[in-house]
Amino acid sequence: MLKHLLLSLLLLLPLLLSAATGCDLNDPDNDVKRLFPASTGYTTLYASLQKSGGKTALANVEKALGDKFTGLYETIDVSYTIYKIYSRKTLIGYIHGVNQKGEYGGLQVFLALDTKGRILKLYYQKLSSKNAAKFKATSFTSQFTGLTRTDFATFDIKTGKGSGKVAAIKNPAPATDKDFLYTLRGVKKNLILMNTFIFKQ
Amino acid sequence: MPTITGIAYKNLRRKRVRSILTVFGIALSTWVLVSLFGFNEGYQSSLNKDIDNLGFQVLLTAKGCPYEAATLMLQGGKGLRYMPENTLDSLRANPEVEELTPMLMQTVFDVNKGEDGGVVGYLGIDPVTYPKMKTYLTFRQGGWFQDANALEAVLGYEAGELEQREVGDKILIPEKNVEVMVVGILNRSGTQDDGTIFMPFKTMQNIFGVQDQLTSIGIKLKKDTDIAAYEEKLYELEDVQVVSMAQVKNTISSLVSTARVMVMSIAIIAILIAMVGVMNTILMSVLERYQEIGIMKSLGAATAHIFRLIWLETAILCFIGGIIGSGLSIALSKATDALIRYVLPYSPTGSLIRIDAPLVLRSIGIIVLIGLVSGIYPAWRAARIKPIEAIRSSEGEL
Repeated sequence: MLKHLLLSLLLLLPLLLSAATGCDLNDPDNDVKRLFPASTGYTTLYASLQKSGGKTALANVEKALGDKFTGLYETIDVSYTIYKIYSRKTLIGYIHGVNQKGEYGGLQVFLALDTKGRILKLYYQKLSSKNAAKFKATSFTSQFTGLTRTDFATFDIKTGKGSGKVAAIKNPAPATDKDFLYTLRGVKKNLILMNTFIFKQ
Repeated sequence: MPTITGIAYKNLRRKRVRSILTVFGIALSTWVLVSLFGFNEGYQSSLNKDIDNLGFQVLLTAKGCPYEAATLMLQGGKGLRYMPENTLDSLRANPEVEELTPMLMQTVFDVNKGEDGGVVGYLGIDPVTYPKMKTYLTFRQGGWFQDANALEAVLGYEAGELEQREVGDKILIPEKNVEVMVVGILNRSGTQDDGTIFMPFKTMQNIFGVQDQLTSIGIKLKKDTDIAAYEEKLYELEDVQVVSMAQVKNTISSLVSTARVMVMSIAIIAILIAMVGVMNTILMSVLERYQEIGIMKSLGAATAHIFRLIWLETAILCFIGGIIGSGLSIALSKATDALIRYVLPYSPTGSLIRIDAPLVLRSIGIIVLIGLVSGIYPAWRAARIKPIEAIRSSEGEL
């Protein structure tokens, strides 16, 4: 009987895989508490560019990002999960993650944001890199704290050139490691999407 | 001079609303019947196709290893066991074997997957035999490995998208810190291969330090081989476990058997309702035309003529209802497919409803036959009407 169940599970695997299009927290209860220690609860909402203006919204996001959307996780109908974080009944912030191409695989870049859209914490839920420990170190991720979408506006995520606070962020890995630029793209995309879905500035 | 068919058709048109409602009831029954037959054929065919897509009929694994993918999911990749690679030689000697494909499943723990890390799995395959068995696998980009020892990977559709890889990109095997070049991305196949990262099994043996070891062997048997007998023969090998794809089919079939019984019951009820409806409509019609039938008989219509007339009316109703119902079932087959997928615990890929011309003709035939059976009683009662009694009274009692 167990063998039969396992075999059935094997055939069901494609269905399980095909459902994995969004970017959700793996363990939301614990992740929310870790990213927002003062939180007492959270709700989730689902947004997509399709529902938030369609092709116009996508074009605006691409323009703000300075790059085109490509691949399964960068389409107009991808559903994004936004976690609204509460302390009792007061909204204290948001958590939102995006998928981003990396040097050795997909990155999942989550941001904990305050209610004004400022970054409180950067969290890699998935990262394939020889320098993963350096990228995940607080000394690197803390450099993003306090940054907003506006800070990224003058930074070119393709060339890595720009001015202001973002340009001052130090690459923890050797210059040849592209994951630094990929991370910046992921963060910028995340902030632009949150502005489209939530802050609407 | 009007024909019996013409008179029957005219009679039905005289009570248009009642005839339309009866036809509608028959059409609904036909829709259920055609969809049910279509489901029986489509489901079995799609399931067989899914099983065939596995490429081999028998999977030989090391004893204790239920199945690599299931092991991965349920035991976190810690339950892998091995069989020596020379098991292939023993199997090649079997005359029942058409083709063999060795496989090596390996897992690593990726500390950077989530907060607490996670397991990543890789399937080592033989670039010569595996593609031959999985002929349905086609490439979106690139192709299979260049040689058996290449540091290369082919990614299933979902794996490629999840890792956002393209041909020429690299993947990193955690723990081993080995870079592997992506040489191919597969098209979506709707099978477990979509989520798989493939590498040459020889390469994986070197990377993971398991030289001359395999986790499983896929066995494609020659046609007309007695699979059950061959499975018994395989158990003569030491420390192996045999997984037959026939077992998978039986498991899935038993999962859906309850749903099929329910659908069958609904179909039978629908047919019974239609039968009663047809009988009622025709009886009502005979009742209303009691005097008219009497006059027809007094003018020379034989008992057989009246019986044929009433029976024909039934046949026309059922025939039209059958055609409309068949059309409905074809037009709504996608919606029915979606509904069944929603209800069933497991649905194979491909169409669950397969409706073709023979099935439609068979269903219409069954509906007309059922209608004719239902029409026997009203036709018999109409044929037995006595002219004098009928002319004397305006309505009859049946």
